[in-house]
Amino acid sequence: MSKRSNAGHDNPGHNKAGYDGAPDAGRRNFLKGATIAGAAALSTPAAANTTVSGFPEQRPKAAIPGPKLAAADAMPPPADPVSQTSSGGDFMVDVFKTLDIDYLAMNCASSFRGLHEAVINHGGNSKPEIITCPHEEIAVHMGQGYAKMEGKPLAMICHGVVGLQHASMAMYNAWCDRVPVIVMGGNIIEANKRAPGAEWPHSAIDPAALTRDFVKWDDQPVSLQHFAESAVRAYKIATTPPMAPVMLSLDAELQENPIENRGALRIPKLTAAIPPQGEEAALAQLAAMLVAAENPVIICDRVARTQGGMPRLVELAETLQCAVIDNFGRMNFPSRHPLNQSFRRSILSQADVILAMEVNDLWGTLSDFHDRIVRSSSPRYKPTAKIVTLGTRGLYMKANYQDFGRYQEVDLDIAGDAEASLPVLIEQVKRRVDEGRKSAFEARGKKLAAAKLATIEQAKSDATIGWDASPITTARLCAELYNQIKDEDWSLVGTSIGLAWPHRLWNFDKAHRWNGLAGGGGVGYTLPSSLGAALANKRHGRLTVAIGGDGDFMFVPSTLWTAAHHKIPLLYIVHNNRAYHQEYMYLQAMAARHGRGITDTDIGTTIKDPFVDYATLAKGFGVYGEGPINDPNDLGPALKRAVAMVKSGQPALLDVVMDQR
Amino acid sequence: MMIRQYATRPGTIRAIAAASVLFAVVGTSGAARAEDPPGDAANGKRLYLADGCFECHGRAGQGGRFNYLTPALAQEALPVDSFIAFLREAPNDMPSFSAAVLSDKDAADIHAFLQSLPGPRPAKDIPLLNQ
Repeated sequence: MSKRSNAGHDNPGHNKAGYDGAPDAGRRNFLKGATIAGAAALSTPAAANTTVSGFPEQRPKAAIPGPKLAAADAMPPPADPVSQTSSGGDFMVDVFKTLDIDYLAMNCASSFRGLHEAVINHGGNSKPEIITCPHEEIAVHMGQGYAKMEGKPLAMICHGVVGLQHASMAMYNAWCDRVPVIVMGGNIIEANKRAPGAEWPHSAIDPAALTRDFVKWDDQPVSLQHFAESAVRAYKIATTPPMAPVMLSLDAELQENPIENRGALRIPKLTAAIPPQGEEAALAQLAAMLVAAENPVIICDRVARTQGGMPRLVELAETLQCAVIDNFGRMNFPSRHPLNQSFRRSILSQADVILAMEVNDLWGTLSDFHDRIVRSSSPRYKPTAKIVTLGTRGLYMKANYQDFGRYQEVDLDIAGDAEASLPVLIEQVKRRVDEGRKSAFEARGKKLAAAKLATIEQAKSDATIGWDASPITTARLCAELYNQIKDEDWSLVGTSIGLAWPHRLWNFDKAHRWNGLAGGGGVGYTLPSSLGAALANKRHGRLTVAIGGDGDFMFVPSTLWTAAHHKIPLLYIVHNNRAYHQEYMYLQAMAARHGRGITDTDIGTTIKDPFVDYATLAKGFGVYGEGPINDPNDLGPALKRAVAMVKSGQPALLDVVMDQR
Repeated sequence: MMIRQYATRPGTIRAIAAASVLFAVVGTSGAARAEDPPGDAANGKRLYLADGCFECHGRAGQGGRFNYLTPALAQEALPVDSFIAFLREAPNDMPSFSAAVLSDKDAADIHAFLQSLPGPRPAKDIPLLNQ
């Protein structure tokens, strides 16, 4: 497959590539023409060290040619073309176009220079368009946020070794969050094609091994036809529920060298897999349980994967007039719907049937866990409650990373995509509802609606405490922000504040109002994933906002440069409580437990001395920035200015000095 | 910033409230007594910040979020002796604070500070909370 020079010897001159061991990887074939004898001389250790040893050296004597060298001397020099009319990368771009991949997020790297050039000059930098990211973790997290908002994956590419190591944590978040991202890494498979220096530590036998525990599938194609089939397969696997990232290792030779016979290459047709629907008899059994139940409760997490998900769930809940608890993994259920009881989880103790749909950690949802010296737990549900699961989570698991949570006993486990199963389930429920049950459902719904109203009033009352305080309360910030965006087509695409206040106070009523959380809890998610979601929202004209933590921001601040460079409108509020606050609280608990000092838990948990000036940072990256804002009365005007900036098509950042969360 | 993510657990809050009632009824020996002089709210504020109470309950006593919603403490309703008893053997994820790190006097001062904080006010008076 290779066209890279391989005359049976190391290319001369490569040892000149650098005493620092980091030669320009772009010079692999540059000095092909030097003599073999010269290569032998320069490849000796003495010669290699000349530039750094400082000692005069004796030029080694040329070895007496053996039969092979003599034969090589007698052969004509290898062909050394200086231009080509096609490259494997061109074909790869053709494949991307058939897959309708809009964006290629990346930080440039020589191991995919062939594909990079092809995207620009063969593909016209369109489908995919390059999104330049200062860090691979940013690129993958952008893909995570983008896919959840747009409903399809983007692609990212990186060095298959060092870049993939940067990308890996974000891939883990996407894995835990069940989000498809097409990850690719450059590699040089054939050892004798690698230049000395960087190309060796940047190559691997099996680059994908690093991330195999948290991708759904991977491959390393060795031909262009192989690439086409694997790329289409990868896309299909990634986007079939349960969704997850996939990884392709791309050989540099395959990207760079001419296509031998384009006519012989074929791009397979992508046929999306129909998401699996739960078995009909099982759904009928579930419907009968739900209709007969006195207090059924629906728990949902990553149910809505399309715009149709939320209306279907609403239809089911309204038919039953039953309580819905949202774990907020997706935009599943309207926040102000009378049946939304997400902030009244105590109702689980009264449930006789619990239906959990696409819930990852069901045991955690159904248990009170006590983080004490002796850890203990107790179920939140009564022993007679029947528990039913519906989802794809159990269809694909791996062993090493433990994101699946503790084993939860259930009474009926229906394997199937919840959104795809909802129409049948709704039909089965409706078929069983007679007038008597309908009357009972209405009475139940009225009680739940009254309780919901009380919950909302309680939230408003709670929000008044510390209303004028500085540092500003999270409730005040959220109320001020909502006031500025409520009349726009807004989309909240990230929070690092423990969710509560926006979902307690705001009216989340459309599919794009929310897109879930990090998945794996890996820090550094909120800013880049929000930007990815904003990239998706841009074409729909939505106003994208996010409230990120200061600690989260500090992992990936250069995301702002990508926002400015690509003119992606996003209002990003740094919830600046000047701490890694969750850990601050954990450490306080440790100190209290050990009883030997409780006043120094700010050590290692806070971000002070100095405080970070996030607005100035933003300006340094070319982004509109204001702050630090300390006075709550300054919030409204600042938000108004920032929203105007975002509506003009630019990103904006506000640094708001906050009380905890 | 959050490393671990759990579902909100208002049930825990109820458990704390229930435990509070228990302590209010039973009381414990060694706690400040109702007839003791009122605590020093100014010192209580200093301790509330220095001892990390604000981390979970907010500088204004507005409550917050740990692995679940944490209760508001402004206008704390517990009598001081029950409050201290609660701190000594707190339930669930609430840390317990021994006398070695928080004396009865200091705890009473914190209690006085919490009682000095303004509690909730009518939400209808704040237009931003009615949209």
